[in-house]
Amino acid sequence: MGNLTHVTIDFDSSHLIFPALTGCILGLLGLAILIRDRRAILASGAHWRRILGETDKMRFFGTLALTVLYFSAMVPVGDIWPNTGMGFLLCSIPLVALSGLLFMRDRTLRKTVPLMIVAVAAPLLVWWLFTDLFFLTLP
Amino acid sequence: MDILAFISPLFVLLAIGGTLVGIIFGAIPGMTATMAVAVCLPVTYSLGLENGLALLLGLYVGGISGGLVPAILLGIPGTPSSITTTLDGHPMAKSGHGEKALRIGICASLVGGLVSLLILDLFAPTLADFAIKFSYVEKFLIILFALSVMAALSSDLLLGIFSGFLGIFISLIGTYDVTKGGNGEWRLIPPGTEYWLESGFSLLPVLIGLFGLAAILDEAETGMKAGMSRKDVRIGQHEKFSLTIFKGQWVNLIRSSCIGTFVGILPGVGGSAASILSYSNAKTFSKNPEKFGKGEPAGIMASEAGNNGLTGGALVPLLSLGIPGDSTTALLIGAFTLQGVQVGPLFIGNNPVTWDAMILAMLIANIAMFVLMYYAIRYFAMVVTVPKCILFPVILMMCVIGAYTINYGIMFDVWTLLIFGVFGWLMAKIRLEVAPFIIGFILGPSAEVYFVKTLESFGDLTIFFTKSWIAVFLWVLIALSVGGSAYLQTKKAK
Repeated sequence: MGNLTHVTIDFDSSHLIFPALTGCILGLLGLAILIRDRRAILASGAHWRRILGETDKMRFFGTLALTVLYFSAMVPVGDIWPNTGMGFLLCSIPLVALSGLLFMRDRTLRKTVPLMIVAVAAPLLVWWLFTDLFFLTLP
Repeated sequence: MDILAFISPLFVLLAIGGTLVGIIFGAIPGMTATMAVAVCLPVTYSLGLENGLALLLGLYVGGISGGLVPAILLGIPGTPSSITTTLDGHPMAKSGHGEKALRIGICASLVGGLVSLLILDLFAPTLADFAIKFSYVEKFLIILFALSVMAALSSDLLLGIFSGFLGIFISLIGTYDVTKGGNGEWRLIPPGTEYWLESGFSLLPVLIGLFGLAAILDEAETGMKAGMSRKDVRIGQHEKFSLTIFKGQWVNLIRSSCIGTFVGILPGVGGSAASILSYSNAKTFSKNPEKFGKGEPAGIMASEAGNNGLTGGALVPLLSLGIPGDSTTALLIGAFTLQGVQVGPLFIGNNPVTWDAMILAMLIANIAMFVLMYYAIRYFAMVVTVPKCILFPVILMMCVIGAYTINYGIMFDVWTLLIFGVFGWLMAKIRLEVAPFIIGFILGPSAEVYFVKTLESFGDLTIFFTKSWIAVFLWVLIALSVGGSAYLQTKKAK
C-alpha cells in the first residue's frame, strides 16, 4: 500500500503532473457522461436543429459578424493615428449604431434618432474618459 | 478604524454612484449585478484599490437590490436572486399596490444587507485567523470542497463536476509560473499559439466574455425581445407607506437575512437559492401560509432580505479563504488582481485599511440603495422601459474596454473575450455549468501549486487524508456534498 501511494516528483517535469491528472479526470468524467447520456447524445441532431430553428438568425449571426468585424478593424484603423485611441472611437460609433439597428424591432425615425445620438455620444464619452482622464491605452 | 485614511468625497460618491448604476442594471431584465461589475471594472484601473472597491461594492449591492423592480412591477425577476419576489410582489402590483410592494422590498433589502454586513465584519476575520494555520493540504482540499459544493448544486452533478475540472484544465494553459514555485515550462499550448498563450488566458477577459458577451448573444439569439412600455409598469397610485407593516415580521426578516448570509458563505450557491430558501422558510413558519403567492407582504420581505443577505455572506469566503462566494465576487478577485493584492487568509491582517474601506463601502452602498430606491422608486420603475437595443451595444463596447485595458493593451485579450463569450453561450446549450467552471478557472493555478508542492514535500498521496483533523473534516464535507447531491438527483430521477 505504501508503494502504491508513494509519488516522486521530478522538478523538470513537474509542470505536466497536474494537467495530466486533470486531463485524466476530465476524460473519465467525459466517458461517464457519454455512457449515461448516450441516447440523448445520439439524438442531439434534433436538439441542435430545434435550437437553430428557434434562433433569430439575423440578430444572432449579425451580432457575431459585427463583433468580429469590430475587433478586426480596431487595430488597423488605430494604426493610422497611433496612440490616440482613434481605432476604438472610430470603430465603436458604427458598431453601436449598426448593432443597435440590428437589435431594434420597429425601425422608426422616433426610435432611431436617440440610438444615433447614443452611438456618437457613448463612444466619445468613454474615449475621452479613458484616454484623457484615466490615461489608458486604447487601440 | 482610521476612517480618515481612506474616506474622501470621491470614495462616498463612488459608492453611491456604483449603487445607482447597479440598481439600473438590476432593474433591467437580462442584466445582472455581475454584468454591472464586469462592465465597470475598467473604470477602477485608475481609481486605486479602496475607491475602486467602493464603486464595485456599490454596483454589487445596487445590482442585487434593483432586481425587485421588474420582479414586482412586471412579474419578471430582474436578476435570478429576485425570483421569489415575483410570487407575492407582482400580485400586489396587479391589485394596485405596486409602490407599497416595492417599498416593502426596499426596506427588507436594507435589513438583509445590514445583517449580512454585521456577520461579515464579525465572521470573516475570525475565519481568516483560523485559515492562516492551513497548510497546502488543507488549502487544496478547500478548493476541492468549493468545487464539490458548486457541482452538487448544479442541475446535473456529473456535468457540474465536469465543468469545474474543465475550468481548472483551461486555467493551466500557459507557463507553470516560476513565482509560485513552478519550473517555468510551457504546457497545453497548441502549436502556433505560443506567442499569445504563454501566460494563458487572462482572468478578466474570460469573465467578461462569460458574463457580458454571452448574455448579449443569448439575447440576440432570442431576438432581443421588445422592451416594456410605460403602460406595462403597474406601479399603482401613490399611497402612504407605514413601517407598521413590519410589525410581527422582525423574526422573518432576521431569519431570512441570516439564511441569505449563510447561503452566500457557501461558495457559488447564488442569490436565487438564498431567496428561495428564505421564502420557503417564511412560508413554513407563517400563520397564514395559504396567503403566500397571492400578494403576502411577508413573502416579499423574506425574498428580499434573503437575497441582500447574500451580499455580505459571499464576501466571507473571498476575504478569509480567497474563494469567491458567487460569480460577482469572482469578478472582485479581478479588481484585487489589477491592484496587485492577493485575497486569502492573510488579506484582512495585511490590509486593514482596505478591509475597513470595504465594510464602510458596503454600509454606504446599503444606505444609498435604501435612500435612492425608497424616495425615487417611481423613476427607477421607468428604467425597465429603457430599450435594450440601445443598452446592449454600449455594453458590448464597454466589454471591449475591460478586456483590452486589463494588460495595458493586448488585442489577444479582446479575442479571448469573444472566444469565451461564444463558449459561455454554448455552455448553456450543452448544459455545462458556468459557476463551477469559473471557480475551477480562478482556483486552478492555486490548486496545482498546493497539490504539486505537497507531493514534492511529502512524497505520498495519503498525506491528503492524514495531515490533520481539518483535512479529514474537509473530506467528510466533500463526500457529504457529492453523496448528498447524487442521492437527491437519483431520487428525483426515479
